[in-house]
Amino acid sequence: MELIVYIIVLAFFFELMDSSAGMGFGTGLTPLLLLMGYEPLQVVPILLISEAVTGFTAGIFHHEFENVDFSFSKKMSTEMRITLMITAFGCFAIFFSVILTYFALKIPTDMVKTYVAILVLAMGLIAILRFKKTSSVYRPKLLFGFAALAGFNKGIGGGGYGPVVMLGQLLSGIYEKSATAIVSLAEGMVSILGFASFLLISTYGVSIDYVLLPSIFTGGFIAAIISPYMVRVVPNNFWKICIPIYALCIGVFTLSNVYL
Amino acid sequence: MDRDNTLNFLNVEEIGKWARFLDTEKTMWERMRIKKRTVVHLGGALAVYIAIMAIFAVIL
Repeated sequence: MELIVYIIVLAFFFELMDSSAGMGFGTGLTPLLLLMGYEPLQVVPILLISEAVTGFTAGIFHHEFENVDFSFSKKMSTEMRITLMITAFGCFAIFFSVILTYFALKIPTDMVKTYVAILVLAMGLIAILRFKKTSSVYRPKLLFGFAALAGFNKGIGGGGYGPVVMLGQLLSGIYEKSATAIVSLAEGMVSILGFASFLLISTYGVSIDYVLLPSIFTGGFIAAIISPYMVRVVPNNFWKICIPIYALCIGVFTLSNVYL
Repeated sequence: MDRDNTLNFLNVEEIGKWARFLDTEKTMWERMRIKKRTVVHLGGALAVYIAIMAIFAVIL
């Protein structure tokens, strides 16, 4: 087992941002690791395993630090219901992408990624513009629509599930700190199915390389505990502006990966 | 059927009530304090991390 320091640092940074701003672990870390020369089968399944564990860890600690109420002992909390709804769309996305792969339907990747990046940029801009609004009305139908859109984008291979769901929650009127927690847990649950589909593929002779797993897991796990605490302590107004700006960075980064 | 009941999960006041309460009622310094129960849970997380790394050491 090998621990690679710079991979731990990268995983820590991206998971810290993912669990505090609700996006960036997959979208940011995957292209970077591929640029460093790692193969997709060394990166994608490993990120899914790590995201599954860190998503649950972040979810538990967001609940622990009272950023969100995930209780479901007597009556399932509102936040938990929203999480399950978002997770259901994420699971549908994976099912959809497996079907597309099975029937060898190929949608031009660059076109899809461009569309998702522009969507994230537009949503980020709208979220910045609504910064001064002190109160917002919760619009459930809008949230439902954004969750479906995020699932569809992921299903056709464009990624951006985290950014679209996160910004969708903000635009639907959900409190920033709770929205972050909801995305973290939902991504954790969806990643389990994602990794399961990779395990299924591996039974057909595709081998997964686990060399990066200990390093990515170490960085991600530590960040998944620290960031819920950070979200608790830092005032909500900071997250209100930080999340859309980070989303804009993710959008620009995705576009630069496609065209540069 | 009452619309409010059908979309009960859409109760605005419910969503983020803990975080809103902490933001409005507690100062940043108060939010920095960690409960004893949380320290125990952090210890549990450390144990989980060590256990998972031990599994990796064996199987990888």
